[in-house]
Formats: sequence, C-alpha cells, structure tokens
Amino acid sequence: MVKLAAKCILAGDPTVGKTALAQIFRSDGAHFQKNYTLTTGVDLVVKTVPVPDTGDSVELFIFDSAGKELFSEMLDKLWESPNVLCLVYDVTSEQSFNSCAKWLEKARAQIPGSSLPGVLVGNKADLAGRRVVDSAQAQAWALGQGLEYFETSVKEMENYEAPFVCLAKQFHHLYQEKVEVFQALV
Amino acid sequence: MRKLDLCLSSEGSEVILATSSDEKHPPENIIDGNPETFWTTTGMFPQEFIIFFHKHVKIERLVIQSYFVRTLRIEKSTSKEPVDFEQWIEKDLIHTEGQLQNEEFVARDGYATYLRFVIISAFDHFASVHSISADGTVISDFA
Repeated sequence: MVKLAAKCILAGDPTVGKTALAQIFRSDGAHFQKNYTLTTGVDLVVKTVPVPDTGDSVELFIFDSAGKELFSEMLDKLWESPNVLCLVYDVTSEQSFNSCAKWLEKARAQIPGSSLPGVLVGNKADLAGRRVVDSAQAQAWALGQGLEYFETSVKEMENYEAPFVCLAKQFHHLYQEKVEVFQALV
Repeated sequence: MRKLDLCLSSEGSEVILATSSDEKHPPENIIDGNPETFWTTTGMFPQEFIIFFHKHVKIERLVIQSYFVRTLRIEKSTSKEPVDFEQWIEKDLIHTEGQLQNEEFVARDGYATYLRFVIISAFDHFASVHSISADGTVISDFA
C-alpha cells in the first residue's frame, strides 16, 4: 500500500468555475458557491483520492490559482514543479476553450523533459441552450494533447469527482512506471 | 581502528525518519547493503530521511547511489538526539538516462551521530535512493 502525493494545478480562464469545482470536490458536493468571487492569489484544497482497484491512494494538493491575466506573473512561482494538471473551460465560452492551448503550454513549460498527466474539463454542461463548444471537438483536441476529457456541471453536482479520480489514476500509473525504471537500473 | 561501512543496518544503523514510504520500497532498503533494493519518494519535493548510527562515528568517505535526484543537501548532528543539525554538504547531481547516480563525497569534519539527507529537487516526479555507504571509524559507543 502506498499513499502518493501530487501537486495538481488548476488552470483556465477566469469565471470558468475552477474554484467552484475545487470547492465542490473538497466538500463532496455539499457546497456550491453561488456568488462569484475572483480568485486573486491561490487557494489550496487537499484531498485524498483512492485509486480504484488498488489499496493505494493519492493525496491531491490542488492549487486553485487566479485565471486573470493580471496575476499571471505570480503563477510562475505558484505553479513550480506540478505533478498533474486540471485544465478547465466553460462550454458556453468559445474564448475559454481557445485559451486552453495557452494554459497547457504554460503548465508544461514548468517541467520541461517530464510528462505532465492531465485532464480537460468542460464545465457548465447544464447550460445546454447556451453551449457553443461541441463535445466532440473538445474531446478530439484533448485526445491530441494526451489529456483525458470530462464534462461536468458543478452547479448540478454532476461528474465533479471523475476528473480528479482520473488524475489520481494517471499519477499512480506514472509512479508504477518509474518504480519499474528504478528496478531495472541495477 | 577497524574501518567499516558505518551506514549498514547490520552495523546497527537505522533510518529513523523518512518523508515517503511505499511498503514495497521502504527506507530500510537504503542501508541494507544491497543496491538492488531502494527507497522511492512518493510525490512532491523536498523529501528527506535521517540515518542514526547509534554511536559517535567519524566519516571519511560517503557514497550515495540514487536516480533522478537533482539537488541534494546533507546535514549532520553530533547530538544523542536528532537535533542541532548543521549543513554539511550540498550538491547538484547530474542525471544520465538509465544510469544509477553514483556520487562520492570525501568528508571533511566527518564527526556525526545522525545524517539527514534532503532531496530538494529532482529530475522527475519521483526519485529513488538505492544505497548510502559511509567509510569511517567508530569513535565511541553511547554510554
């Protein structure tokens, strides 16, 4: 049995629901924040996620940092040495989806030479009438970038755990791969 | 005086603290004298472990075998309790793909009862430590 620890950075444009996602995950669906507050620094959410079909778990240290451009210089410090990435956009905002490439690049630049497991999350899936980003299109882009794709509605408390469970699984898999590398050295 | 590998668990040394532990790759593997067994870090840095000699020793040469370790700091204490650590060695290691890092330090002022190894950063998400050996002499046993 092993308990891994992973620094998870939460990235995406302002108002896509990064903080709401982190908070609903932390509170197991008990707390949906109705009023918007701009995240200016960073919030830290720590939660242990069991890895399905193993006795192992991953303690996620979720760094919920500001999406606003104004605070982007701070990100370089806050995002140092990430282990996994949770990239969020709003399915009713084309702009927020288009920004994902930029966010992904910024995150990967933090650990050149190492892989960064990640997920792409399309939030606000409950707003069907206002949807502008097609699921298939988003999924195809995610696949091309090596990210797993999820759609969530934090407001309806739908599917908010799946992206984090997936990150835990990916990180656990990476650990097992590295252990095999260590084993083969001598 | 007889020179020996002071770090070996068979000589009475012990890892008294490690910030990571996978049951399959416990920190005891560092001092079992077998480089095939290893301790893994399990995510995020810094990570550290402390070796206790259970006696006063003088280290002359220290060798660490590891993988993916980038910045390593070694502190030592001469107390009977694991307190008052002072900085001893700090080094940026080199990573060669597929090859165990084999880092040798010739010690100055090698008097110690405890050694504290801090892996400040690494070349990957995880790092491993396969063995640590310290050539030197026993100065005195604890009363």
